Amino acid sequence: MRQTSADLLSKLADKLGGTLRDGPKSTVITVTPDKAPEACIAVSSLSGLYHLSTITGIDLGDEIEILYHFWEGKRFVIVRTDVPKSVPRIRSVADAMPSATLYEAEVQDLLGVAFDGNPYTGRRLLLPDDYPAEAPPPLRKDADPEKIRKMMKLE
Amino acid sequence: MSDETGEERKEAGAGLMQYSPEGMMPFGPVHPSLKEPEYFKLILEGEKIVQVIPRIGYVHRGIERAAQERTWVKNIYLFERICGICSFAHSISYTQAVEAISPFEVPDRARYIRLVVAELERIHSHLLWLGLVGHWAGFDTLFMWVWKDREHVLDLEEEITGNRVHKSYSTFGGVRKDLPDNIGEKAKAELGYIEKRATYYKDLVQSEETLAVRTRGVGRITQETARKLSPVGPLLRCTGIGRDVRVEDPYAAYDEVRPEVQTSKDGDIASLLVLRLDEVLDSCRMVKEALEKIPAGPVKAAFPRTVHEGESSFHVEAPRGELFYFVKSAGGSVPERVKIRTPTMANLLTATEMLKGQTLADVPVVLTGMDPCFGCMDRVSVFDVAKSKGWSVSGEELREYGIEYYRRKRG
Repeated sequence: MRQTSADLLSKLADKLGGTLRDGPKSTVITVTPDKAPEACIAVSSLSGLYHLSTITGIDLGDEIEILYHFWEGKRFVIVRTDVPKSVPRIRSVADAMPSATLYEAEVQDLLGVAFDGNPYTGRRLLLPDDYPAEAPPPLRKDADPEKIRKMMKLE
Repeated sequence: MSDETGEERKEAGAGLMQYSPEGMMPFGPVHPSLKEPEYFKLILEGEKIVQVIPRIGYVHRGIERAAQERTWVKNIYLFERICGICSFAHSISYTQAVEAISPFEVPDRARYIRLVVAELERIHSHLLWLGLVGHWAGFDTLFMWVWKDREHVLDLEEEITGNRVHKSYSTFGGVRKDLPDNIGEKAKAELGYIEKRATYYKDLVQSEETLAVRTRGVGRITQETARKLSPVGPLLRCTGIGRDVRVEDPYAAYDEVRPEVQTSKDGDIASLLVLRLDEVLDSCRMVKEALEKIPAGPVKAAFPRTVHEGESSFHVEAPRGELFYFVKSAGGSVPERVKIRTPTMANLLTATEMLKGQTLADVPVVLTGMDPCFGCMDRVSVFDVAKSKGWSVSGEELREYGIEYYRRKRG
């Protein structure tokens, strides 16, 4: 099973023009943002795959790295993509995978990446409703908690 | 939340359907079934719930951000404070994720001790939950019995780790100290008592009329829903899908002391009651087995002060299901990024499905039935929030309402 899914994953990476990195506990497929939803849906339909564990966003400076962690037996299959900070947009996978809805909404709130098609687009999930629109999302590296507190008139 | 305009009210909530303002019932953020704030928009047709829109974040404290400014070791104690019930699950998940970056082999004895404490925590968490279901269903005797019995497990945890709640026990390279002498004898006695009580409760929850009326067929999850929304832990297993991180991807000593995955078929709250009690009994067996099999040796190996550059995804089976940690290290003295996904976050959408089709009177039991931990999901410690006057329903009123509703219905 491990062997066949490894073959399938490398075929998938070739098809989408991405790269594949195999580790002992995880397999990472790196693709461009426009291919990421397609990659996620293809990975999620692999036999033996359990579920989407979560979606992680990381601020890398000029880009936001997005990781989709899929749990498969004794390892994780991770779809990785870098979304440029200048245009922080990516297509949502919530239609095909409803379990991604809240995970996407969380990344959207905390890192300011818009997931087109997610039902929480334009509304908050975690942040307060009066979180200032001009303030940087709180998990961005340039977000200064002191400044945000002043913007929200909390002191 | 309450000052929405008419336009906003008409928009589709979670994108699933439109609703009219008349049938909307704001629910929270003072949470009905636990002393934690969370907000649910319930869309009603008469008494029946047709749509639920969750809004979380009321106890969000930005722990993931705070973690980026604390050293690796300090973070163990920070993450432990995410949850007051499954604190040990958080600390073993984080410590094992960091150990996996290196990778680092933990002494065998430490692996066993981690299993013992994690299983004790599962027992006390499930008992706490059972008591709460009793309370919200109007069966307070059960609540008092169960919470009294739970003290036995907490005593045992205190004996081993030194603390009842935030154990600060697991650390990089193992656990902080060895088991006390003659713990085997004491554990056998206490767990024997718990087993006896759990067997009694298992019989009770299946035969007692009060609980049967409030839980049978209530909050049903189908396998189809489970496959679509991928809940974790007992919520998944009660639909008959026997998936458990301890078995599928063993950590600590779960490859040597193997759990028996418990499942049930009905997918309602009644089946969750039996399922969780079966898990309590299985955990008792595992703790006893682990304490017999435990190898001698050191409980901690020296762990380097800084962590290699790299990343790891790690998950453990917390009492509520899969608890996921992603840790990224840039080789410094603080983590680059830690991402946490708690079981309640994964179960939240399923909970909204469980509520649909139920009456308003069932809300407390169903929401307690999913065993929510909103503090976990928002990543903070639990605290009370003063009752907001703007909302017409408080948790206590709703509990009374639920009990009265069924009393009238049953005559």
